[in-house]
Amino acid sequence: MSFSRTELVDVTMPQMGVSVAEGTVVQWRKQVGDQIQADETICEISTDKIDTEVPAPAAGVVAEILVPLGATVAVGVVLARIAPEGAVEGNGADGAAASNGAPPPAPNGAPAPPVSNGTGAPRRYSPVVQRIAAAHGIDLGRVTGTGRDGRVRKQDVLAFVEAEGGTASAAVAAPEPPLHIESPYRPDPVPMTEAGQLSRMRRQIGEHMKRSLDAAAHCTTWIEVDMSAVEAARAPLGLTALAFVARATTLALREHPSLNAWLEGERYTRHDAVNLGIAVSLGENGLIVPVLTDAHQLSVEGLGIRIKDLARRARAGELSPDEVREGTFTITNPGQYGSIMATPIINQPQVGILDLEAVIKRPVVLTDAAGNDAIAIRPMTILGLSWDHRALDGVIAAQFLAAVKRHLEAWTAAG
Amino acid sequence: MPTLTYLQAISSALRDELRADDRVLVMGEDIGVFGGAFKVTDGFVEEFGTDRVMDTPLAESAIIGTAVGAAVVGMRPVCEMQFADFIACGFDQLVNVAAKMYYRQGLAVPITVRLPSGGGFSGGPFHSQNPEAWFMQSPGIKVLAPSTAEDAKGLLHAAIRDPNPVCFMEHKHLYRRIKGEVPEGVYETPMTARVAREGSDLVVIAYGAMVHVALEATEDLDGASAQVLDLRSLVPLDNEAILAAVAQCSKVVILDEANSTCAAGAQVAALIAERGFEDLDGPVVRVSTPDVPIPFSPPLEQVVLPSVERVKEACRELLAY
Amino acid sequence: MATQTAQQAQAGGGYLLPEDRIALLRAMLLMRGLEERAMSLYRQGKVPGSFYDGYGQEAVSAGAAFAMAPEDRLCILHRDLAAHVIRGVAPARILAQYLGREAGVTRGRDGNVHFGDRRLGCVGMVSMLPDMMLVATGMAMVFKLRGEARCAITWFGDGSTSRGDFHEAMNWAGVQKLPVVFVLENNQYAYSTPIDKQFAVNPVERAAAYGFVGVTVDGNDAEAMFEATRAARERAVAGGGPTLIEAETMRMHGHAAHDDMKYVPKEQVEEWRKRDPIERQEARVKADGTNVDEIRATVRAEIDAATEEALASPQPDPARATEGVFCEGEAEPLGNGLAPWSGFAAQRGQVAS
Repeated sequence: MSFSRTELVDVTMPQMGVSVAEGTVVQWRKQVGDQIQADETICEISTDKIDTEVPAPAAGVVAEILVPLGATVAVGVVLARIAPEGAVEGNGADGAAASNGAPPPAPNGAPAPPVSNGTGAPRRYSPVVQRIAAAHGIDLGRVTGTGRDGRVRKQDVLAFVEAEGGTASAAVAAPEPPLHIESPYRPDPVPMTEAGQLSRMRRQIGEHMKRSLDAAAHCTTWIEVDMSAVEAARAPLGLTALAFVARATTLALREHPSLNAWLEGERYTRHDAVNLGIAVSLGENGLIVPVLTDAHQLSVEGLGIRIKDLARRARAGELSPDEVREGTFTITNPGQYGSIMATPIINQPQVGILDLEAVIKRPVVLTDAAGNDAIAIRPMTILGLSWDHRALDGVIAAQFLAAVKRHLEAWTAAG
Repeated sequence: MPTLTYLQAISSALRDELRADDRVLVMGEDIGVFGGAFKVTDGFVEEFGTDRVMDTPLAESAIIGTAVGAAVVGMRPVCEMQFADFIACGFDQLVNVAAKMYYRQGLAVPITVRLPSGGGFSGGPFHSQNPEAWFMQSPGIKVLAPSTAEDAKGLLHAAIRDPNPVCFMEHKHLYRRIKGEVPEGVYETPMTARVAREGSDLVVIAYGAMVHVALEATEDLDGASAQVLDLRSLVPLDNEAILAAVAQCSKVVILDEANSTCAAGAQVAALIAERGFEDLDGPVVRVSTPDVPIPFSPPLEQVVLPSVERVKEACRELLAY
Repeated sequence: MATQTAQQAQAGGGYLLPEDRIALLRAMLLMRGLEERAMSLYRQGKVPGSFYDGYGQEAVSAGAAFAMAPEDRLCILHRDLAAHVIRGVAPARILAQYLGREAGVTRGRDGNVHFGDRRLGCVGMVSMLPDMMLVATGMAMVFKLRGEARCAITWFGDGSTSRGDFHEAMNWAGVQKLPVVFVLENNQYAYSTPIDKQFAVNPVERAAAYGFVGVTVDGNDAEAMFEATRAARERAVAGGGPTLIEAETMRMHGHAAHDDMKYVPKEQVEEWRKRDPIERQEARVKADGTNVDEIRATVRAEIDAATEEALASPQPDPARATEGVFCEGEAEPLGNGLAPWSGFAAQRGQVAS
């Protein structure tokens, strides 16, 4: 089948977050000729931080698929075209031509249609034409080109603006707001793309970890912390130890700001605000690190509530792309399975990551003011800090851990 | 306002400068008693004497070199190369002594070198060149190229009053063919570009004699609105005006009468590609003389120099793109 | 004492007082001392680029420059450092210039001896030789046009006379009869090219062909150089036109620090060693009763102080590397330099009274 070019609706690569510039098509859910509902997923894409689905902007029939599986394209590039319901069928061109983008001859009476460039390759738009189209919210697929080989000239898009009045009339004029819309994560087991291969998410995590190990000079320092004050405080508040560790961490980071920094190559940026990443396990699906922006401004209760909310939404796949960015320090807390120590991998481009393992009752030596030793039973934990030796030295790491310990051990209700 | 030819305008500027400023000194071959090969300085000796309108030996290197010496002891020498082509004999003095002196020594060299340039009249390979790009490449030299009588006078005033070495490209072919209204007295034209004709569908960028080719070629382009931008000044190059024209028109044709490779137009094209990319609706098109010595016989010369027809064709093709 | 007076009177044709002889010696000692110091810094890697000196030729520039009045103009070449010293360029500035520092005369924009303090009437040379002959000719042309009693002087080497600009300048100066002094430093070699490969006829002979006087002078005798230049200046200022002074001397070091001059016969070097210009001037100054060692010590102290100052001075600012290609304000002409010869003071005294 074939359709008049001016009727087709573009499906474009969305912008998944302010800094994202491109995405990869990882699955086509529809083929040319398939029916599709409005908002039904037409394809899945993957960006640096997040995978998502792209919904159809209109109901109709998929007329063209322009970007092959696995291709990476810039934000705004047309991925596919849909012939909306009620679109006029033309005559002539075969289905193959439609699927690779060649436009059909127009129905009688319509102005002579633009001829494609013959190779079936997607239409190219000059810089100024794209700029004008973006400024007026014009879908260039609807503009007739009168230039060579049907090229859209500047005059063509300007004439279109004048005729159609710009943004108001275009059905899909405005670019999609940069939002993550639907859950990319399923409660189902790992979707393997092929038997024996890692999922895309797994691969991405693996690459990130590998890169981090390659880039940073990883060292890990541990400290034992007496959690009895925390244990006493948390029960009435209904909070986990993690919230307290988070609070103590933000305080310690303000005292030792060299750990609240980014090291990207040679560029070292120290941050005032603490944007605290909390690693959340997604079970078989791997790991994600949502970020508590301005965590230093939250009390331990605030932290507790936010952490809980982030974790819930992470597991439900409801995070927005901006919630997994710009972290300045990360805490990882794999849970109360009994493991006591770890050597976490730094979340690039940060320079430190703190690991909270199990809190376990142990006998410890206490020395009173008079210098007398006694044995007591205390809930103890070992905090592990992996840090980047390129950015700081062991002394700082130790001092930081000592500060965290100090805050945790001195916890009072007022803390 | 009087109407003067391009040549008369140049004479007028020289005369006014000699009258206004004792420091101005005109020197060149055959410019005194003979009044100059093109008669630019006709009658000057009678008014200003042989000291200030100096017939020099046949020695381009010496003309430039002694002008440098004269300039650093307080004079404003205006040298004439009989043909722009002969600047090659004075190249060393111009680019090594004059151009670099201020940067190296803080010693300004306020000389003007007048260069009758260009072809179109069977001058052959040694009397038809447009060597301005050689000097655009040489830091420390300003390069001017007027296309109208009014600009010829105003830019020559500006050149003589500028404290730096200035190459003044006067196109021989315009000497007597171009007339225009020229304000009386001394005035300085700014070293900027000028819109020779307003337009919005396409802009032709040119300088010197090619401005007139551009105007003729774009007069009737099937109703299209074509702008013509006259650069007037090659160093300093009016980047802002060029980019504004590109922003407005989005399609550019650049004209060079000079040989194509590394001509002034090549620099304009590079500027547009680098800083005007977002405004382009088509490739940057150049029309220029191919890389060949300018031939003597008319059928050969006319086919190599950019013609009205060639420019028209390039404009049409670009408009349709 | 009568003998001494006669000797004194003969010195420099009778124009040089004992203080002038000392001044000549000082200028040469400063030139040699500064060049030796700069060579040492060069070998330490502190002087970038290449290094040229005029070892053994000091009298050519010292003697000739000494004859120049404040209002005269000089185009000085790379083995003529004494001329800069006489005109008034401070030793610290000279060393800073070699070191490429901001305090150097060219602020790091040109190297070694490619400098000229425009405020002292000196034009900085270019590497293309003898381009500066034309610049000097042009300056002289204007002096004549304006009816001014002053002259221009330029130095150039035996090799450079083979290039076209030599001919163009000689011709122009001759045909216009200009007040210019051309000092041809014949130091026997242009890099590795001896003079018998450079010209068939000694250039001094060609002056006649251009319509003016050519004289040959012992270039290693500072006072003879002074006298020849003084006379040339007198001729120029009186409207007698140009003079070509061929200063016979010897380049005692290589073309540059990177040249070991293996191509020069050792006997030739030895011959010229015996005619060292500084030794000869020292003998005269000693004969006048002056303590040469004290002069040497003073010069050494000056150079030491200058070295310290120059080494401490800052590098040029890279952020400003592209500034100053064009003059944005008024073009200022060259200024007047120092002219330590007592004869000038006397003349001024005469005018005043």
